Amino acid sequence: MLDALVEHPRRWMLKALIFLVFAQIASGSTSVALAQQPQPDPAGIATGDKSAVSDAAGNPLVIAEPTDKTTPDYEQSKEAFDDYQAQAAKEPIALRLADSVGHMRIATNFSWTLLTGYLVLFMQAGFALLTCGLVRKKNAAHLMMLNFAAYVFAFLAYYACGFAFQYGGTAINAAPSNLGGTPTLNHFLLGRGLWGILGGKGFFLSGPGYDAGSLCLTLFEVVFMETAGYIIVGAICERITFWAFLLCELFIGGILYPVFGCWVWGGGWMSQLGTTMHLGHGYVDFAGSTVVHGIGGFCAMALAVILGPRLGKYGPDGKPRAFPAHNLVFVVTGTFILLFGWMGFNPGSTLGASDLRISVVAVNTNLAAVAGSAAALLLWYFMFGKPDITMACNGMLAGLVAITAPCAFVSPSSAVIIGILAGVLVCLGVLFNERVLKVDDPCGAISVHGYCGWLGAVSVGLFADGTYGAGWNSVGVASYLGKAGQGVTGLLHGDSSQFLIQVAGATLMAVYSFGFTYVVFRMVNSVRSMRVSQEAELSGLDVPEFGMVAYPEDAVELLAAGSQQQGA
Amino acid sequence: MKRIDAIVRPDKVDAVKASLLALGITGLTIVEARGFGRQKGHTETYRGAEYSLDFLPKLLITLLVVDELLEPAIAGIMENARTGHIGDGKIFVTSLDEVIRIRTGERGQLAI
Repeated sequence: MLDALVEHPRRWMLKALIFLVFAQIASGSTSVALAQQPQPDPAGIATGDKSAVSDAAGNPLVIAEPTDKTTPDYEQSKEAFDDYQAQAAKEPIALRLADSVGHMRIATNFSWTLLTGYLVLFMQAGFALLTCGLVRKKNAAHLMMLNFAAYVFAFLAYYACGFAFQYGGTAINAAPSNLGGTPTLNHFLLGRGLWGILGGKGFFLSGPGYDAGSLCLTLFEVVFMETAGYIIVGAICERITFWAFLLCELFIGGILYPVFGCWVWGGGWMSQLGTTMHLGHGYVDFAGSTVVHGIGGFCAMALAVILGPRLGKYGPDGKPRAFPAHNLVFVVTGTFILLFGWMGFNPGSTLGASDLRISVVAVNTNLAAVAGSAAALLLWYFMFGKPDITMACNGMLAGLVAITAPCAFVSPSSAVIIGILAGVLVCLGVLFNERVLKVDDPCGAISVHGYCGWLGAVSVGLFADGTYGAGWNSVGVASYLGKAGQGVTGLLHGDSSQFLIQVAGATLMAVYSFGFTYVVFRMVNSVRSMRVSQEAELSGLDVPEFGMVAYPEDAVELLAAGSQQQGA
Repeated sequence: MKRIDAIVRPDKVDAVKASLLALGITGLTIVEARGFGRQKGHTETYRGAEYSLDFLPKLLITLLVVDELLEPAIAGIMENARTGHIGDGKIFVTSLDEVIRIRTGERGQLAI
């Protein structure tokens, strides 16, 4: 080994350097001395004390000492602080009681966040059924394997680096106070302050990431990432090789999704544009119309363009042919499981049951779902003479995707309008993709998640009524648009700058997701084709790729399995 | 001995079976079949694209009869499977060289 060191000093130095950089990242202590860092709380016994106690309007019990004497309301703050100190000195038992009330509040929010996270996890089953039902029977096992592997491999990528990239700096600008604030996630790898680009703590969920509050966030966010991960299945199925699909999942879970997620949810630069550029409350996406669904939808579009349409999808005259769904029972069951899971997806995004807006969110989510479904169903009925069951299901999902960003900020009637818009958009999007762009999307994933995701973010800028989200992204904590308690407000309620940032942000999302995916996988595809052989595609991918058929009635040989002559 | 293969509408099979049982036939085999005749199916749309449903679902009834029962069996099928519309199906009749019951080894008319 010493000889090698003498002979190839540069190679060894490079190896040592890579090791050091990796160790630095893994320990999460790249720039700040360890001694000053908040300590993680893996046991969960130090998370939630009196500082987490607040009244229904969100006013905290504990009042911090004002430090900046130059602010205009310094005197007022100082007086409030002195009052609090005097009260606290008089009633020490109340402070100890407040500690347990604060702990209970965080505990309630943990329960809510984890339970809704489990609901979102169940959406995986819904999507597996939906996409499997929508394809041809000869690819059913292939679809099941894609949905299964998406969960497994994207999860591991998110564990290794995805979570750290997305939330490694969340305590700087977007501390989830409902979960105790995750103070250990406080470093941006790229960018700083209000211009964070990439989080930098919590790699491999170790060190600063090995914390009860942080891991509660991890569980909830990893199932969101999985949603983006399985969206692509709907557009690339029936022709992609399994190895290429695994690469796609590692790419989404490790890089594509977390980067944009950091910009919007991890306290990154897009969320802070309200403070830095005076654009509304910054870019607002409550539960992920763009962060989750848009990213998945446009990534799927880039992959579908690279792969090309399925064999025989277009005739010699360029006319699209129908490849009918093989199991509508799966399609409808899967859609309802997704609707049920969405009851975790949107209401859970408050990250806490102590935020009573959850009931509004839940009703809005359901309303948009039924409105979207009704719009798509009736439009199809009118256009083609018969309602299409698969389009009715796509319409329901379109309504859900579109309400995901605005669900907390709009009224129930606005939710119905958003659902109808989404139901119409998804139909037009499916026809546009199939007939004009000629991008083959077997399950309509691009239209449902991409186009309607974009619509969802824009809907915030249109319909948000200002009743919720005061102080969102640190904008308008005291008052907004001249009114105390005014929350996120859309164009129809008087804030045009919010509309502007929503349109710009959602469009940037589409360009980022499509562009990044296209560049990366064009290169992969040029090294080795990501598509299965023609023979495999024609016979169905189940046997060539996985050596099995999906349904027992197709496995004739299995009836005889075990009946051969027994050996010694 | 004759073999009758009748392609009928799936919803007619019960009536056909009842009439054949009344004649005293001793066995019946059906197979789910798909096919088209002179009309060549029809077209439907799926997610906005047209496709043709060429192979419509039918049932293929197979039964073996002694020569004397052939005409009554055909009459029974005709009477019960017929609607008068396109797609009522067809009846094929072939002569049988031999029939063997596997369990007992009986041959010919005894095995029907």
